[in-house]
Amino acid sequence: MSEDHEQLEADAIRTAMKSRLTRRGFLRTAGVGVAGGIALPSLLAACGGGGTSGKKVWDPAEIFSGQPGKTLNFANWPLYIDKARDKNGKVYYPSLTKFTDATGIAVNYTIPITDNPDFFAKIQPMLMPGKPTGYDIIVMSNGWEFWCLVQKEWVYPLDTSKRPTFDQNAADWAKDPQFDPGAQHSMAYQWGLTSICVNHDLISAPITKLDDLMDTEKLPSASVGMLKDDMPDFVMRNLGIDTVNSTPADWKEAAAWLMKQRESGVVRGYYSQGYTDEVTAGNLAVSMAWSGDIIYYAIWEGMSNLEMLMLDGGCVRWVDNMMIPAHAANPVGALELMDWYYRPDIATGLQEWVMYMSPVPATQDGFLADAKAAEAKGWKGYASKLYASAKSEYIFPSPEFLDQQVSWMRQLKTDDEKAEWDSIFEPVSR
Amino acid sequence: MRGISYGSRLGGHRKRWTRFILPGYTVLLLLFLIAPILMMILYGFNDIPGIAERQSAKFFGFTLDWYRRLFEDPLLTGAVRNSIFIAITAATLSTPLGTLLGLALGRYGFRGRGGVSFIIFMAIAVPEIVLGSSLLAMYVQVGAPLGLATILLAHIGFDTPFVAVTVRARVSGMDRSMEDAAKDLFASPLVAFLRVTLPIIAPGIMAGFMLSFVLSLDDFVITNFVSGNTTTFPLYVYATQKMGIPPTVNVFGTVLFLAGVSIALFGLFRGLLKGKSAAA
Amino acid sequence: MATTTVPRTQADLPPIRHSAWGITARRRLAAYGLITPGVAWLMLFFLIPVLIMAMTSLKSGGVLEGYRFTWAWSNFPTAWAGKGHYFVRSLMYAFLTAAGTMTLAYPATYWIAFYGGRWKSTLLFLLLLPYFVSFMIRTVMWKFILADIGPVLGPLKDWHMLPSGFRILATPFAVVGGLIYNYLPYSALPLYVALERIDPAMIEAAKDLFANRTQAFLRVVLPLSLPGLFAATLLTFVPATGDYVEAEVLGSQNTYMIGNLIQDEFLKRGRYPIASALSIVLMLGMVVLTSIYARFLGTEDEVVAAAVTA
Repeated sequence: MSEDHEQLEADAIRTAMKSRLTRRGFLRTAGVGVAGGIALPSLLAACGGGGTSGKKVWDPAEIFSGQPGKTLNFANWPLYIDKARDKNGKVYYPSLTKFTDATGIAVNYTIPITDNPDFFAKIQPMLMPGKPTGYDIIVMSNGWEFWCLVQKEWVYPLDTSKRPTFDQNAADWAKDPQFDPGAQHSMAYQWGLTSICVNHDLISAPITKLDDLMDTEKLPSASVGMLKDDMPDFVMRNLGIDTVNSTPADWKEAAAWLMKQRESGVVRGYYSQGYTDEVTAGNLAVSMAWSGDIIYYAIWEGMSNLEMLMLDGGCVRWVDNMMIPAHAANPVGALELMDWYYRPDIATGLQEWVMYMSPVPATQDGFLADAKAAEAKGWKGYASKLYASAKSEYIFPSPEFLDQQVSWMRQLKTDDEKAEWDSIFEPVSR
Repeated sequence: MRGISYGSRLGGHRKRWTRFILPGYTVLLLLFLIAPILMMILYGFNDIPGIAERQSAKFFGFTLDWYRRLFEDPLLTGAVRNSIFIAITAATLSTPLGTLLGLALGRYGFRGRGGVSFIIFMAIAVPEIVLGSSLLAMYVQVGAPLGLATILLAHIGFDTPFVAVTVRARVSGMDRSMEDAAKDLFASPLVAFLRVTLPIIAPGIMAGFMLSFVLSLDDFVITNFVSGNTTTFPLYVYATQKMGIPPTVNVFGTVLFLAGVSIALFGLFRGLLKGKSAAA
Repeated sequence: MATTTVPRTQADLPPIRHSAWGITARRRLAAYGLITPGVAWLMLFFLIPVLIMAMTSLKSGGVLEGYRFTWAWSNFPTAWAGKGHYFVRSLMYAFLTAAGTMTLAYPATYWIAFYGGRWKSTLLFLLLLPYFVSFMIRTVMWKFILADIGPVLGPLKDWHMLPSGFRILATPFAVVGGLIYNYLPYSALPLYVALERIDPAMIEAAKDLFANRTQAFLRVVLPLSLPGLFAATLLTFVPATGDYVEAEVLGSQNTYMIGNLIQDEFLKRGRYPIASALSIVLMLGMVVLTSIYARFLGTEDEVVAAAVTA
C-alpha cells in the first residue's frame, strides 16, 4: 500500500516538473503544484493516511531462529555501563568486551538516549513505515513510550525459551513485571528510585516533607531542581494519591502544586539529564534525583555533603528495560547479549560501576565477595566503598522499604489519556 | 574611488581623541566576537582532573592529552566525518544548481521571475525551524528512512538559494559590455559564456560554494530535524552539552576553525596576489 | 574550448531577433532551461514539504491510533491554546536581537566601510572570523563563559563586586545576548555592503552645502544605507523568532520560545499534527510580517536586499 501512494506522489511530482518546461511555464506549474498538493491528501487519505503500517504479528520462534550476526548495535543512556581503562589508557567496556570474547559478536555501543520521549520521537519516523531503526537493543524505561512500542508491535516479542541465564538469575518481579507480563517484550537492565537529593552545605534546615520543596525560607531562590518526566508521579505520591490508579482530577491537583512551586521562585530548572552537573557544581541545594547518580557521588567520589533521602510521602520507582526494536538486523545476537547481563559476575560488574539497582539479586553477594577480595589485596578504601554500597537502601532496597515507601508510576494507555496528561502537566515546565 | 582612505578629509578639525572612538569601538567589538573562540581553543588544553572527562568552566592547567586522544571516541570522530562529508557533497551539488538559478535570475527576464525570486527569498528568510520541520513532515509522510541521504537532500535544498543569490549579485553587477565585446569579436554565445562570463562570475561561484560549505558544515536546526540516528558534529555537541561536552570537542572545533581560516586566508591571499580586490 | 573561424562579413553572423524585452527568444528558452533544475529542487524541498506539513496539520490521531487526514481545523486552536505568549516572547526577543545587532554592527561597519582603506577586507574578515566555528559550539562556549562560577563571574564574585547569587545564565539576558552574538554577521554584512556602496563624494557634497558631521550622517548616510538596514532587519528578525538553541542552552523554562515549542512537539513528543499546526502559523506569521515590512520600505528593495546579502 505504501508503494502505491509513493508511486502516485512521484507521478504527481514528475507531472509538475514537466509542465514547468513550457513557455506558459511558471505560474501555471505553480498552480499544478498547488493542485497536486491538494490532490495528494485525498489520495493519501484514501490509502489510510500513510502514517501507520499495518499490524503485523511477529513470531518469536521465527525471529530468533538461526545464527546470530557478527555485529550488534546497542543504544543506551549515558553513564550506564561499566567502563575501564586498558594498559594503554584506552577506555573500554568490560561487560561488552567479555561478551565479544565469549561469543565473537562485536558490539557497537552508542549513547543516544537522554530521555524516553526524545528517543522515542527519534525512532518513531522509522518505526512507523516499518523501517529498521539501526539499533538491535534499546533501553527504555517503563511508561508511555514502552507501552506504545509494545502495543504497536514496534519491538519484537522475545523467544522466552532462549534466555536460560535470565530464567535462572532474575528476580521474581523481573520475570513478570506489571508493565510487561511474562517479560515477553523486555528484560530489565537496571532499575532505580526517583527521590530527593540534598546538598547539606547549601540547606539550612532539614527537608522532610513535600511542601519543604517550595519553602522560600528554607531554600534560596532558584536552588531546586525538578525532573520533568518523574515529577507528576512523585508529587502525586507525596500528596497521598495512589499513583497507579490516579485520575485526571488527581493529576490536576499535582499540577496545581507544581505551579505553586514554580511561582514561589525556588525552582532553577526542569531537567531530564544534566541536573547532576548542577548538583555537583553547587547550583542546586535540593533536587529530584535518580538514586544511582547521587549514590555514586556520595559514596564513590566522597562528596559526603550530598545525601539521597526520602520525603515523608515516599518516592517512585522505575525500571529501564532492554528491548529489541522491530526490523533489527541481529535479533538473535541481541537476545544473547540481553541474557548475558543476567550472569551474576557481569551483573555485579555493571552494577558496581553504574550504582543503580540490579534485577539480579545475586549481585549483593557479588559486592560483598568483591569487597572481601579488595580487603585481602589491601585496597581498604575501595573495599569500604563496596561495603557501604552493599548496605545502602538505595542500591539494595529491602522489600519492606519498597512496599511502604515506593510506588510505581501511572501507566497511560490511550492517546486521549496521554493528551490529557500532557495538557495538564506540560504548562508547568514551559 | 572607494579604495581611497578618506581619513582626514572627512574628519575636518576634530580633537585628537574623538578620532579613536570608532576604531576603538571596532577593536572592542572584534575582541568581544572572538572571545568564545579563544575560549574554545584555550579549553582544548584544559587539564581536567578526575575520570569524568567532561569540559568544565574552570581552567585547571595545560595538557596536550586531548590532542593525543582526539580520535578515541568513534562516535565523535564519526560525527565530524559525517559533517565534513555532508558539507563537501552538499556544496558540490548545490553550486551548479544555484549558479544556473542565479544566472537565469540575474540576466534574463522571463515570466515568473518574480515568483522564483520570491521563493528564493522565502527560502532564505523563513525561519530554519519551519524548513526543518516541513522536511521532517514530508519524510515521515513518504516513509523515507532518516539518515545521510535525507540530510544531504535537505542541505542541498537550503544551500541552493544562497548560491543563487550570491551568483545573481555578481551577475547583476557585471559589466555586460565585456560580453558584447566578445560577441562583436564573433564569439558564439556558448563561447562568450565560457571564456568571458564564467571567469568574471567565477569569484561569485566560488563564494557561493564556500558559503554552502560553511552553512552545511555548521548547520544545526535543519539537520536536527531530518537526521534520525545519524550524528553530525553540531548535533553531537548539542546532544552532549546537557551532560557535559568531552574536551575533545574543543579540539575538533579548534582544528576545524583553523582549517577554515587557512582556506579563507589562502583564498584572500591568492586574490591579493593576483591584484584583484578580494571578494567579500 | 572550441575556436570559431572568423567570419568575413556581417552576413556571416547569425541573425539576432529582438523581442519587446530586448532579448532573443532563444535566450528565453535558455533561461527556462537554466532554472529548471534549481526550481524543481526548490519545489521539492521547499514548497512541497510545506504543503505536506500543511496537510499534516489537518490530521488527527495519535501514536497508538495512527494519523488520519480529517480536515481537523481544530488542531489550530488546540495547538495554540495558551501558547500565544511564547510567540509574543519570541517576537520580543527577535526584535531585541535585530535592534541589538544593528546597533552593535553599525558603528563598526561604518568605520570599516569609510575609513578602512586597504584594510577593509581584512577587517571584514576579522569581523566574520568567529563565525567559522559552528554556532552550536559558540553558544555552548558562552555557557562556559557565563557560568555562575566561570571565568567571568567567578573572579567578580570573589572580589565581591557581585552578590554570590548573581546569575546571567538561565535568564532572558543570556538568551538575548546569545542571539545578538550569533546573528551579528547577518546584520553586519548587509550593512557593510550598503555602506560601502555609498559614494563618499555624497558626503563631500553635503559638507560643501555646510552640513556638519552629524547632519551629514543623518541626512545622507543613514537614508542611503536603508536597504542595508532593511536586509539586516529581515535577516535577523525572522530567523531569531524561530531560533530555539540559545533558549535551550543558555536559558530556562522562563525563556521558552515558540521554536522550543515546535521542536518539542516534533522531536520530543512526536505529535505531528499539532506540531505542524504550530509551524505553519509561525511561517504564515513571518510571511505576513515580512510583507508588511517590505511594503513599508518599498517592495523593490525586497529583491534588492536579498541580492545584497552576498
